[in-house]
Amino acid sequence: MNIVNAALSGFFDLLLSPLRSANPWIPMAVISLLTGFLMLGIYRAVSDQDGILKVKSCIKAHLLELRLFKNDLGVSLRAQGRILVANLRYIGYAFKPLLVMIIPVMLILIQLNDWFGSRPLAVGESALVKAELAEGFSPLETDFRLEAPAGLVLETEPLRVEEDREVNWRIRAAAPGVHELVLRWGGASAAKKVVVGDGRLARVSTARVRTNVWREISHPGERALPGDGPVTTLEVRYPERRLDLFGMGVHWLVAYFVLSLVLGFAFKGLFKVTI
Amino acid sequence: MKRINGHPLDRREFLKLGLGAATLLAAGAGSPGIAARTAGRSAAGPKVIILGMDGLDFGFMRRWMDEGKLPTFRKLAEAGGFAPLRTSDPPQSPVAWANFITGTNPGGHGIYDFIHRDPSQQTDPNNFVVFSATATEAAKRNLKIGNYVFPLSGGKVRNLIQGKAFWQLLEDGGVPSTIFKIPANYPPVGSKQRTFVGMGTPDLLGTYGQFNYYTTVPSEIAPDVSGGWVHQVYVIGNRVDTKIPGPVNSFRKDQPDTAVDVRVDIDPVHPVARISVQGQEFLLREKEWSDWKKIRFGLIPTQSVGGIVLFYLKQVHPEFKLYVTPINVDPSDPALPLSTPESYSRELAAKFGPFFTKGLPADTHALDADVLDEDEFLAMDDRILRESLEMFDYELARFNDGLLFYYISSTDQRQHMFYRFLDPLSPVYDPGQAARYGTVVESIYREMDVLLAKALAAADRDTVVITMSDHGFSPFRRTFNLNTWLKANGYHALINERRMTEDTLFTNTDWSRTRAYGVGLNTLYINERGRESEGIVAPGAEKDALVREIARKLEEAVDPKTGERPILHAHVGRDIYSGQSVDHCPDIVLGFNRGSRISWSSPMGTFSKDIFGDNTEKWSGDHMGASEVVPGILFANRPIRAEHPALYDLTASLLALYGIDQPKELVGKPVF
Repeated sequence: MNIVNAALSGFFDLLLSPLRSANPWIPMAVISLLTGFLMLGIYRAVSDQDGILKVKSCIKAHLLELRLFKNDLGVSLRAQGRILVANLRYIGYAFKPLLVMIIPVMLILIQLNDWFGSRPLAVGESALVKAELAEGFSPLETDFRLEAPAGLVLETEPLRVEEDREVNWRIRAAAPGVHELVLRWGGASAAKKVVVGDGRLARVSTARVRTNVWREISHPGERALPGDGPVTTLEVRYPERRLDLFGMGVHWLVAYFVLSLVLGFAFKGLFKVTI
Repeated sequence: MKRINGHPLDRREFLKLGLGAATLLAAGAGSPGIAARTAGRSAAGPKVIILGMDGLDFGFMRRWMDEGKLPTFRKLAEAGGFAPLRTSDPPQSPVAWANFITGTNPGGHGIYDFIHRDPSQQTDPNNFVVFSATATEAAKRNLKIGNYVFPLSGGKVRNLIQGKAFWQLLEDGGVPSTIFKIPANYPPVGSKQRTFVGMGTPDLLGTYGQFNYYTTVPSEIAPDVSGGWVHQVYVIGNRVDTKIPGPVNSFRKDQPDTAVDVRVDIDPVHPVARISVQGQEFLLREKEWSDWKKIRFGLIPTQSVGGIVLFYLKQVHPEFKLYVTPINVDPSDPALPLSTPESYSRELAAKFGPFFTKGLPADTHALDADVLDEDEFLAMDDRILRESLEMFDYELARFNDGLLFYYISSTDQRQHMFYRFLDPLSPVYDPGQAARYGTVVESIYREMDVLLAKALAAADRDTVVITMSDHGFSPFRRTFNLNTWLKANGYHALINERRMTEDTLFTNTDWSRTRAYGVGLNTLYINERGRESEGIVAPGAEKDALVREIARKLEEAVDPKTGERPILHAHVGRDIYSGQSVDHCPDIVLGFNRGSRISWSSPMGTFSKDIFGDNTEKWSGDHMGASEVVPGILFANRPIRAEHPALYDLTASLLALYGIDQPKELVGKPVF
């Protein structure tokens, strides 16, 4: 899984890195446009275009029938029934491409969440660091120590919450850059990246997780933690990023879906796709 | 400024009034229509910067200037002008600032005291004693479905100051103004100018500030702490579960209190805790303040009201102690009107993040109740001051036309709470602590010296820079219970003598035998027939004679401990006031002698065993004296020609600087 994540992350880094200094709406629009193209391509390749065209024509015909024979109850009811059936057929035609699209869209969303879900810490800003432990491990029985490199300041002693099997610390960003916290216990250790930014867009991996396919897929920014250690998650609570729209903070997911839908529909003629 | 200590209005009733409207305003059911700022206009006159430094005292100023500790003030006094500034009668902050705001005396603007009374509600303790500067009305029309109440019209918060504010007059004259946190401007008067509310702005509960304090120490649990709630909590499995109480839910018939859950996890050994509230998690070390945290109180599924709080982790081990500030209205999403235009509040929040919006943000109640100690209080007030200075820099940097008025509250609050360290005669003077905190008051004067230097540096040759205060300060050593004095002299009668000290809000008063009563900090009223619903004294000659008699006796009263007169002047209201609101003026206005003040309980109609007493509170400096006892200060970078300038003269001066005709209601004269 680490290889897949590395490949995907590398691709997105390549794509978005040149746009880091731009207004975040620009990289978002670029990704949305590319996603729109990808979706159109998948739709065209996977869907039954003739069938979709036929069923849409059928729906139009029955709508016309409804309008023309609105005074004939029998015809109207029959037309409505046929519209319903045609709609079900249409959904059936759309189901297959949607099913195929789910996988790339999900991978794109996971990548975008790293870029747009959180923002790097600003210099002087504090953040919570959490180490979650696996079942059977107690934070009180093992001495977990967090080491902060230059560029980060460890502000508190560890807070151990036995009930949640967690150890928490607070760190403060002191200098811009990508820094690495090191968590040590017994003779073992694990590192966690912390991004301190200058306001520009940057990939922010919020958590490093223990080997587990789904958890690894959803946290692609860093290599997985060893599967046999006590730590299941090493997390930094970054501030949430919002896209500014005339003073309103828009969640990136809303922006992404609206933009990719609009752009997808706008270019469907170019791809000669019937949706 | 003075708070009402000991006997606040019944909280529930107050909240019903206050937050009924607040929650409606939050729901968008009612908000004042305020037009956009007077932008892009060019003032005809000079640029004017006014620094309003609440409570700066003429005596202290003179002393520390002479000692060379305030070089900028001294320089300004030598190059321009420096004079004592006559304050209002009585010298209470809302009264004094209203004098300046309107250019009238209380007879014109109608604010005579922090507290007024409604004579028609004499037998209704919850409506008889009212705040003087604002009135809150719940929605008049509601739709009731089951246990839910849906407002069909907006609630209202009204500013009760009569007359036009000076920035409204300047607006009429085309002079753009920024008025930052001037007291007695809540809710903000309708204007296109850029204004932000000041003293008088409530917290989210509609009160002057209710802190929350969570402690595991049983001896700290006190049910009657003024200005806050003390909650007993238990640490179970290194965890504390508690709630922050919110406003009453006006969308429900039974008006239950709202609350948000708070979970605190503490480390079994280390002095550190994690606080979790509404999805926010943060760590605090012992003796550490949090950043602002936003909290929201759910009302009905589609409606909620939000505010901001700071947490202070006072202690983790061996006992757990956590303080939470009063819930300030969130400036980024205000549930109550905070500014004109409405966007100004959001603009500041976008620039600076959340900030203090409650009228007087420093929590003097918490210090008085020993919930915060002196250092902790100073840490909070320092935060308030830094925040204020940062915003001043912002406003000063973009000030290029018209008027900038900027207000500082820390000057007033620190003198109230730290005067005891300058006064060896104070009943709570502690030489050890005085050595440690004896320079706190001086240091805030020095801070103001730096602020003034900044303003002067930014001013060009034609910019008028004025520094003013609304009143000065005097020590508060001895208390005088006016109502007990009235009773002792046969002017006030009780139903049950044995319950004398137990009841408040005049619930034990026998109005059929009472001729006079004291409400508020400096004011006395005759129980006048036809005006008071239970009045017995005939208006006209009988009342006039009684007023003169009581005034004379009050001025003759002597404190047996000090041998001094506690009251220098007992002015007859109609003799000293003029203007459109003079019919509502108090019958007698007390001007206390240096060292004396009204007792803590008298203003809300509570009696004490003795007329006189020692003031043992940390609130040890005050300004309820006769106006000549507590003059404010006036500095300007041009000569002050008036011999005895008063607050309302500054209003006239402003209009004169811009060549705007002075309305006939204004009583002042230009000082330059």
